[in-house]
Formats: sequence, structure tokens, C-alpha cells
Amino acid sequence: MLELIAANIAPIMFGSLVLFLLFGYPVAFALAANGLLYFFIGVELAPHSGGDISLSWNLLYALPERFWGGVLANETLLAVPFFTFMGIILERSGMAEDLLDTIGQLFGPIRGGLAYAVIFVGALLAATTGVVAASVIAMGLISLPIMLRYGYDRRVASGVIAASGTLAQIIPPSLVLIVLADQLGRSVGDMYEGALVPGLVLTGLYALFILIMSIVRPKWVPALPLEARTLGSGVTSLVVALIATGAIAYGSYQWLEPRYGDNARIWAMVVATIAIYLAAILDRGLKLKLMSHLTQQVIIVLIPPLALIFLVLGTIFLGIATPTEGGAMGAVGALVMSALKRRLTLESVEQALASTTRLSAFVLFILVGSRVFSLTFYGVNGHLWVEHLLTSVPGGEVGFLIVVNIIIFFLAFFLDFFELAFIIVPLLAPAAQKLGIDLIWFGVLLGVNMQTSFMHPPFGFSLFYLRSVAPKIPYIDKVTKKRTEPITTGQIYWGAIPFVLIQVVMMALVIAFPQTVTRYKTELPAVNPNTIKIQLPSLGGGLGLPPLGGNTGDQGDVPSGLGGALPTLNGPPPGLGGQQPAPAPAPSPAPSPDLSQPPKIQ
Amino acid sequence: MTWLLGLSRLIDRLTAFVGRWVAWFIFAATIVSAGNAVIRKAFDESSNAWLELQWYLFGAAFMLAAAYTLQRNEHVRIDILYGLWPRRVQHWIDLIGHTLFLMPFATLMVWYLWPYFMLSFRSGEVSTNAGGLILWPAKSLLLIGFALLWLQGVSEIIKKIAVMRGVIPDPAPYVSAHAPLEDVSTPETN
Repeated sequence: MLELIAANIAPIMFGSLVLFLLFGYPVAFALAANGLLYFFIGVELAPHSGGDISLSWNLLYALPERFWGGVLANETLLAVPFFTFMGIILERSGMAEDLLDTIGQLFGPIRGGLAYAVIFVGALLAATTGVVAASVIAMGLISLPIMLRYGYDRRVASGVIAASGTLAQIIPPSLVLIVLADQLGRSVGDMYEGALVPGLVLTGLYALFILIMSIVRPKWVPALPLEARTLGSGVTSLVVALIATGAIAYGSYQWLEPRYGDNARIWAMVVATIAIYLAAILDRGLKLKLMSHLTQQVIIVLIPPLALIFLVLGTIFLGIATPTEGGAMGAVGALVMSALKRRLTLESVEQALASTTRLSAFVLFILVGSRVFSLTFYGVNGHLWVEHLLTSVPGGEVGFLIVVNIIIFFLAFFLDFFELAFIIVPLLAPAAQKLGIDLIWFGVLLGVNMQTSFMHPPFGFSLFYLRSVAPKIPYIDKVTKKRTEPITTGQIYWGAIPFVLIQVVMMALVIAFPQTVTRYKTELPAVNPNTIKIQLPSLGGGLGLPPLGGNTGDQGDVPSGLGGALPTLNGPPPGLGGQQPAPAPAPSPAPSPDLSQPPKIQ
Repeated sequence: MTWLLGLSRLIDRLTAFVGRWVAWFIFAATIVSAGNAVIRKAFDESSNAWLELQWYLFGAAFMLAAAYTLQRNEHVRIDILYGLWPRRVQHWIDLIGHTLFLMPFATLMVWYLWPYFMLSFRSGEVSTNAGGLILWPAKSLLLIGFALLWLQGVSEIIKKIAVMRGVIPDPAPYVSAHAPLEDVSTPETN
């Protein structure tokens, strides 16, 4: 009997983890308690296991070192508080409101225009920070009443708002990508590069959906009526301004390219943006009337988000800042911007810091708990069990990806991404590695998947945020003075469904076209060797994975994921890498740090 | 019961004081981190001490705020079932969790972190990075964090029993993450 339990302790442990979590006690402590309970059971059973269980009391001395190396001294996760802080400050700065007002006016006159504005602003906010709630709430408060006023279909209106808000999860800089990069042992910079194209394609797919709606069901997405267009016309002027900006950008690129190489592209955009901004300010100040009112307004309102995008993503891609420092720069930028708009008070900063601190505490403690869990789970060879389960899925690489994505898709109904990333992803990574799957590609795919979890009914967070600000009772519209019906929860759910389907299409696209992600390999940013160590993919082909990869991830000396693996894990036998399917999209990079770490256990 | 509640109040005041105060460490970390990037670019200088300082500060913030987060009942749960139970059942779940999940874990960690910290303290361990910071204060954060968590666990058990007996009102009722949030402080989590 004992032998039977000992032989199956990994599945039993995993099953009871599910029960522990469903019990409803905080995840961090439930994970740790599960890990410790099975540690004791494991030590007792070890003599009966025939060597399958390698646990002994001394192993507990490894815990402090695991907390130290994997949690405390972890530079990557430092980005979590920075981006959270930035998001909360931005939310109170009124930037989203300004953008929605102006961009709504800009696109309003065309059919589906308000929906395009929501998607565009959603993507823009997503590129400044990684916080979903802020954009959904701003759009729910500002765009939703306007859409209802002019007769948008309620499902389309709420669906497009809920979905556009979740773009923050996949367009860099996003918290999901940071946490995934950390757990997969890859650099955040690569993860950002990899997620850029899928994020933009997804934005395009949302817009495409609205375009189709505007053709098939024009009444669902009407244009703004004439009397509602307050910014006046002057689109020609805007087009001219855009062309001028493009010309300046191209010119400066030609001029800067010899000196800065690839980075010249980013600098050229900066130059052109500053030039057009100065022109707009001068035009307004001197009343030159070179540009229409609309043009001025659009340019002026777009500058703060663009400046923040430069501060965060620009500095990261230029290699000036690490992703962590990019987050800090963004937070400082958001503070300055709020201060300039006179929306910064000591009280709001204190509140933002307090919220950020508590969020950081519970996120990092989930990681603490998962390191206790993984110590035991590795000790009972649970990772081998999971790996065996996953690698025996038929269909090789694609089969594995499909199965994993279906699992995550359903788990995401009741786990949120921190839990998925800290508990489930470390179990998946070694199997993915073994199949020769590029871990950045894998990470971006999981990122798209977890983004979906924000909008599936009935538990998607985005839907809850929208519900919290959407009208629940009939109200009198301020402008038309007509009685307006509220939005039902059912309408919010139905509205989300087409977008969930778009997400599934996007996942399929990322699986089918890995090059949308793996282009990160050719676009490595300039690297400051002092702090950033970006690991180069081993372009010589991923066959025969070398057992020790040395430096992977941001800090070669910090074990990520379930690091501190047991000695038996140091690399799969070299032959296994050779089984990767022929059309392997990319040579597999150096092995995950989980495997590359020297054993930490005495 | 009265003196136990007094003890609980004392613990709550301590962890709340620490938890609120360390929030400013996040602010300091933000400035240090942004400063590091700017100075490195502008003056081509970088110092390991400053690089280490940022995660020192962050480590202090989240380790020392964990107890306060527990006090505020903000450690994230999977509430798919928990949210359905009546408050009374939730109280029992919390009480069982505090005694069987949290306390053994916190106790064990204090037990193992003490020698870990002492070893570093006695040897005056310094970071292996050139010009890095001294390490034992950072390692003490782990110990202090878990010690505070242990204390908070005691306080939570006292309060929970008092609440269940109807001695005091519920100090931190559970708010589902899926309920509308006014203060959107925990954006992507529950």
C-alpha cells in the first residue's frame, strides 16, 4: 500500500493542491502548506519508494536560499510594482479621458467610428502601461454612454470596451509578459519584442471585426450624427500634418541612420513627434491657423501617451534601460505628467503606493508559496510526471501546444494569471523545452491565452470592471434627454463572445506563424553589458541541447521558475533534442535556467 | 479574551505601522531605478550598490507588508467556491487555514531563517558583485517578514474566534475580487 502511494505521490500531491486551492484560503499559504505537508509525507515514504522520492529533512534548509535567490534578489519582478504604480497614477491623471474625447470625435463621423476609437485608445493605453482595469473603467465611463446615446448595439459596445481594455495584457509593457519571462527564464526585452507584432495584429483583428459589423449590421454601429461633432471638420489638415510627420521621420531616419543604425528608427520617430508637437503649440499660441482645430487637438492629446511609450518601450528597445528600469522611468513620467496637469496630490500618491505595496506583497508571496511547493514537487519527481504526461501527447509540437492552450484556457476561468504563471507555467516549461519549442514563442502564446481569461464570461475581470461602471438602471441621457435603458449583464457576456473567438483565432495564428514572434531574434536591441544580459539564441540549431546553458535570463546567477533543480535534472539526454519535428520554426535557444542551475540542495 | 484582543490590537498596530511605512520604499525604489538608467546613459557610470539598492527596497516593501496585507484580508484567494459560502462557513475556512496552513508555515520559516540570517550576520557577508552592498540586512528582511507574518497569524486567529463568538464586529470582511472595485488598486488580480 505504502509502495503504491509512494509511486503515485506526484499525482496525489497535485490533486490535493487543487483541493487546497479550492478550499479558498489565500493561495500563497495554501501552496506553502501543501508543499510542507507533502514534504513530511514524502520524507516518511522515501524508504518505500525505491529511490523515486529524494526528500530528506536537511532539504528544508534549502528554503531560505530559494526565497533569497528566486524571490528577493529577483530584478525582473521588480518591474511589477513599477508598472502597477504607474498604472494607478495614470488612471488618476485623466489621460484616458482626454484621449477618448478627442479620438472619439476624430473617428466618430464614420460608421463604427466610436468603436475604432475605443480600440485605438485601448491599444495606446496598453502600450503605456500594463493595467487592464484603468482603461476598461475609463472607456466604460466615457465612451459607453456616448455609444448608447447614438444607438450602438449594446452587446457590441460593451464587448469592444471589455476586449480593448485587455490589450494591456499582451501589448508590451505588460505585467503578464514580465512574469512569464521570469518564470520561463527568458529576458523580458525579448518577450516584449516577441509580443509586439501579435499584439498589433490582435488590435487589427478587433478593428476588422468592427469593420465587418459596419458592413453586415450597419445599424449596430452608427456614425455620430452631425450635431454631435463638436471638434469641427478639418481632417484634410490632419492628413497633411500626418504626411508631414511621416516625411520628417523619414528624413531624420536617413540622417540618423549612419550614426545610430537600427536605433535610428526610434530616434527618427521621436524627432518627428517633437517637431509636429512644437508646430501645433506654435500654431495655437500664435493663432497662425495653419492647422484645423481638430488637428491641433489630436496632436496635443496624443503627446502624453506617446511620451510615456517612449520613456518605457523606447528606452527598453534602445537598450538605455532594462525593462525594470523602463517601468520606473514610466512611473516617474506618469508622476510628472499628472503634476503638470495638476492632478497630483500627496494623498493620491500615498494611496497609489499603498495599493501597489499590498499588490506586490500578495503577488510575491504566491511566488514564495510556489517555491515551497516546487521544492517538494521536484523532490517527488513531479516534474518528470508532468513532463511525461505532456510530451506523450500525440501530434508533437503542435499537439502539445494545442493541449496546453486548452488546459490554460479552462484553468483561466478560475485562476488568474499570477497563479497560472507561478504554479502551472513552471511545470509546462521543461516539457516545452524538451520538444524544442522556443520559449519566447511559447510565452507569447500563453500571454494571448491568459489575456482571453480577462474576458471570458462569467469570471473575466474586464467584464467585472465594465459591469461596475455600466448603467444598471434606466437613466435620462444628458444630451438627448431621452430615457436610456441600462446594460444587462447578459449583454456584457454576449458582447464578449465574438472577442473571445477572435482570441482563439489569434492563438491559432501565433501557433501557425511562429515567425510573428521569433522575429525578436533578429531585432535584438542594443545592449548595455553592465546590466542587461540578453541570451543569444544558439543559432547553430537546437539539436542535442547542451545540458548547461550558463547565462539565461536577466541575471544568470538567479534561479528562475522552479530553479534549484535536483541534480538528476541537469539537462535531458542529448539525443532527445533530435526528435523535434522537421518544420521546427526556430532553433531552440539555450536550455531553461531551471535545468542549468547547479544543484542548490545540500 | 479581553487581554487576547488587546494583544491582537497591539500586533495589528505594529504590522499596520510597518506596512504603511514601507510603501514609501516603493517610491524610493522607483526613483533609484529610473535614476540608475539615466545616470548610466548620461555619465556612462553604473554602480552595483545602486542596482542592488532597488531590489533591497522592493524586498523590504513586500516582505514587511505581507503581514499588513493579511490583516487587510487582501491575500488573493480562489473564490470560486469560497465566494458562494455563507459568511459563517468562510469564518471556519479562515480559522482552519490560519491554524493549519499559515501558522505551521510561518513558524517553520522563522525556525529555518534564524540560522540562515545568523550565518550571514556573523560572517559579515557582502554581495559578490563588485562594490555591492552588505547582505545580512537584506537577509534579515526575510526573517522579520516571516516573524511579522507569524505575529499577524496569532492576531488573526484571536480576532477570528472573537468574531465567530460575536464579541467584535468583522474587522476585514471578505470582498470578492469579482465585485466592482471603486479603488482599482489591484488591477490584474483578484
